[in-house]
Amino acid sequence: MLEIYAQAFATVLLPQNLLAMVLGALWGLLAGALPGISTSMGVVLILSFTYTLSPMTAFVLLVGAYLGGITGGGITSILFGIPGEPSSVPTVIEGHALAKEGQAATAMWTYLLCSIFGGLFSVLFMIVATPLIADFALRFGPAEYFALTILGLSVVSGLSGGSMLKGFLSCFLGLFLATIGTDGITGEERFTFGTVTLLGGVNFVVAMVGLLAVSEIMIEAEEPFKEYKGMVEYRGLLRELPRFSLFRKYWLTMIRSPIIGTIVGALPGAGATIAAFLAYGEAARTAKHEPQRFGKGAIEGLMAAECANNASTGGSMTILLSLGIPGSNTTAMLVAAFMIHGMQPGPLLLSQRPDIIYGIFVAMIVINLLLLVVTGTAIRLFLQLNRLPYSVFSAAILILCVVGAFGINNSVDDMMLMFVFSLIGYFMRKFGVPVAPCILALVLGDLAELSLRRALLLSGGSPLGLVSSPISAVLLLGALVSIVYPLIKKPKMLGTS
Amino acid sequence: MRTKGEVVFFAVCVAFFGFMGAQAVALMGEGRAGEIGSALWPLIALLASFGLSGVLLVKALRSQRSTAAAETAAAGEAGETRRRRRAVVLSTTCFFAYLWAITLLGFILATLFFVPAFAFALGERRVKVLVASPLILTAVMAAVFLKFLSIPFPKGVGVFAAFSRLFY
Repeated sequence: MLEIYAQAFATVLLPQNLLAMVLGALWGLLAGALPGISTSMGVVLILSFTYTLSPMTAFVLLVGAYLGGITGGGITSILFGIPGEPSSVPTVIEGHALAKEGQAATAMWTYLLCSIFGGLFSVLFMIVATPLIADFALRFGPAEYFALTILGLSVVSGLSGGSMLKGFLSCFLGLFLATIGTDGITGEERFTFGTVTLLGGVNFVVAMVGLLAVSEIMIEAEEPFKEYKGMVEYRGLLRELPRFSLFRKYWLTMIRSPIIGTIVGALPGAGATIAAFLAYGEAARTAKHEPQRFGKGAIEGLMAAECANNASTGGSMTILLSLGIPGSNTTAMLVAAFMIHGMQPGPLLLSQRPDIIYGIFVAMIVINLLLLVVTGTAIRLFLQLNRLPYSVFSAAILILCVVGAFGINNSVDDMMLMFVFSLIGYFMRKFGVPVAPCILALVLGDLAELSLRRALLLSGGSPLGLVSSPISAVLLLGALVSIVYPLIKKPKMLGTS
Repeated sequence: MRTKGEVVFFAVCVAFFGFMGAQAVALMGEGRAGEIGSALWPLIALLASFGLSGVLLVKALRSQRSTAAAETAAAGEAGETRRRRRAVVLSTTCFFAYLWAITLLGFILATLFFVPAFAFALGERRVKVLVASPLILTAVMAAVFLKFLSIPFPKGVGVFAAFSRLFY
C-alpha cells in the first residue's frame, strides 16, 4: 500500500502536475469568490482545456479547481457578505458580521485554517474509511433522502432568528419556490403562468444572488453615506493568526463538523450546502461559549460551517470514485471528465486505474496545503478591497451580481428574476424573516419532493414507509428534536439574514 | 413604523400564498395507489406558508395596537425614515434601470452610466470618484467577463449595438 502512495506522490509532484494544481486552485478560488460563478461553472469552464492533457494532469487541474472553488466561497462571504456558493451562507451570516465588527482578518484566517483542516480531515478520513462510507451511503433510499432533507431544513429553520414562525415561513416559501417549473415526475407545468422563463424552475443561484447579495446592498443603502466600505487593519501574519487556544476552546466543533461534512458529502445530492448548514445548526444548538453571538458574528459558527463545507469534498469524491455516483454538481462534472479520458468512475476503476484513484487522493492532500499557502498569501490583498470607495464598491458588487445571474443561462430574464428576488429579500430582512432557510429549502426542495414521492410509491402510498428503515426513522426523529428542542430551551439567535 | 410595515408585509404574504394555494388545488388529479401528483407537495408548502403568514399577521396587528402610542412619540424620526426610504428607492430604481439599459445600450455603455448614477444615489459627491470609477470599473468588468470569460452580454440596439461590437 505504501508503495502505491509513494508512486502516487511521485506522479502528483511532477512539475506539470504541480503547475496544473496551482492553476486549478487559483482558478477555483476566483470562481468560488465571484458570486454567480459557482465552483461547478468554474470546473466546466476549464474542462475544455483538459482534452489534450494527460489524465493525471487533467484530474489534478479539475480537482484543484473544485477544492479552490469550495474554499474561495468564503472570501467574498466574509469580506462583502456575498456567498460565492450556497454552502457559504452560514459563512456570510457569521463571517461577514465579524468583518463588520472590524475582525475581518481574524475571520479570514479562521475560515482558511478551518477550511484546510476540514479538507485534510476528509481526505484522510476518505482514505481510511472509503469502504465503510460507500457501504453506508448505499443503504440510502428515497425515504432516507427525504428524512435527511427534512432534518437539514428543520435544523436551520428551527434555529434561525428570534421567531421560529418566521424561520419556518421562510423555509416553506423556499419549498414552494422549488416547485415552480416542470414537475420532474409528471412533466406537468406548475406556477409558470405560461411563461417560458419559469419552465425550468427558479434557478437557486439567481434567487440566492437576489435574496442575499442585492438585498444586502439595498439594506446598506439605508445607512448614512460612508466614504469607504470599512477600515480593515492587517497587523501582519503572526498578529492576525488566530491563537491555538481558540481552536482548543471549540475542539468539539472542530472534530464534529468535519465528520458531519464528510458523511453528508458522501450522500449523493446532499453536498457541501447541507453539510455546512447541518454543522452550523449543530454548533448553534450545542454552543456553550457565547451562544448569543450566533447570527451576530459567532466564530464557532464560522468554524463549523467552513470545516464541514470543505470536508464534504472528501465525502463526495469517495462516492464518486468508489461507486461512480456524483455527490454534488461539481463531482457530476468530474464524471464527464472521466468519460472524456475514456474512464468510467466506479468500483472497477479502483482495480483498473489505481494510479488515478490514489493520485487523486494524494493530489487532494497537496492541493489543500497549496490552498493554505496561496489563500494565506492573498489575504492581505483581499483585505485591501475593503478600502475601495464604498459607493463604487457597492456598484461593483451589483455588477458582479448581474454577471452572476446572467451568466448561468445567458438570459436577461434571469437578471429580472434576480431583481424580483432582491426585493423579496429586502422585505424579508426588513421584517425579520431570515432568508437562509428559504435558500436552503429552494436548493433541497426538489430532492425532498422527489424522494417523498418515490418513497410513497415504493410503500404503496403508506406514510409508514417513510419511517420503516432505522436510518430514516432516526433522521426524522432528529428533525423532530431540532424543532421541539428550541421551544423547550431558549432559542439561540441565528440572525435574520 | 416597522409594525405597520409588518402588517402590510404579512397581509401581502397571506394574499399571495392564498392565491397560489388556489392555483395548486387546480393541479390536483387522480393517480395510482401510492402515487402522489404534482399538487400535494406545493399544496403542503403553500398551506403552511398561508397559516404561518396568518399567525404572523395577527401577531403584528396585536403589537400594532400596543405600540400606537409609542409611534406618535417617535414622530421626530420621520425625517430620518424619509431619508432612508429615498436612498433605497433611488438606488433600487437605479439598479432596475441598469438591468433594463443593458438590453438597450449594451453592457459597456449601461455599466458606464450605472456606476456614477448608483454612486450618486448612495450619496457619493467626490468628483474624482464619480469620474474615474466608471471608466476603471467598466474596463475591468469588460476585460474579465466579455473578453476573458466571453459571457455574451446583450449588445444593445441600433447605434448602441454598433458601439458594443467595437468591443465584443
